[in-house]
Amino acid sequence: MSFITAYCHLNENSCSVNGKIFLQKSLESTESWFKQLYKELGVDYPKFYKMDSLAQAGFLASELIKKIIPAISDTYKDDQIALLFANKESSADTDIRFLESYEEKKTPSPSLFVYTLPNIVLGEIAIRNKWYGENMFAVLPKFAPDFFVQYGTILLSTGSKAVLAGWLGILEGRVEVFVFLVEKESSTGIPFDNENVKKYAGF
Amino acid sequence: MDTLREELKKHIIEELNLEDLQVSDIDDDALLFSDEGIGLDSIDALELIVLMEKYYGIQVTNPGEGKVAFLSINSMADYIEKRRA
Repeated sequence: MSFITAYCHLNENSCSVNGKIFLQKSLESTESWFKQLYKELGVDYPKFYKMDSLAQAGFLASELIKKIIPAISDTYKDDQIALLFANKESSADTDIRFLESYEEKKTPSPSLFVYTLPNIVLGEIAIRNKWYGENMFAVLPKFAPDFFVQYGTILLSTGSKAVLAGWLGILEGRVEVFVFLVEKESSTGIPFDNENVKKYAGF
Repeated sequence: MDTLREELKKHIIEELNLEDLQVSDIDDDALLFSDEGIGLDSIDALELIVLMEKYYGIQVTNPGEGKVAFLSINSMADYIEKRRA
């Protein structure tokens, strides 16, 4: 039995880790919510500012998981952590901005264009952490716990020792993010099954 | 500071989302694509081409020409000034 050993939630106004609030959006700040969270995490990774909202969400969630389990990169080899993410919007948030860049502003933006595929967030997480394991981004009609459990179980039985998984719902200001870590060889945590993924996601 | 060079730095910071940089952080002769400079990448190079057309009306169609023009702020300013003359 594999276990969920850490999880986090992000929405438009707050971020929680293992069920406890980590940060709430400051209404006095002129900075965006994701920038506030990035600075609170104390991460020095300037490439963050070039990412689109979907990539920023995945990046921030993965950094939060690493905060809970700091030894994650030391515990596993670089190809033993799989990335398994999904949403229902694909990269629509950035697709819309890219469309505006050439329809309204008449200058198509290359730096937006590179994010017009949802799986780019996996690349950003992989590059940041030098994780070269399996990775998949699925676009689904709705949050599906059984997708994560079934595919995650396959990954854990075919070489992966851990799966960083999550739902990254990002579209035009709406943020619905649940990211969790599943570890194969953990003896404690939340059993990795449909009921628990659904329960802890809270969607 | 030279207006064109300062303007270029502002455009680069804004268009390339270099939010952790100020105009004063970019030396006129720093190699833009070097880690010792501001570490731009290939996507940033494409954005610079778009920037040239958007703000200065200059189309960079020759890749070899672009490679030389985008070495530094100084080389970009020289490239623009030659085409304005």
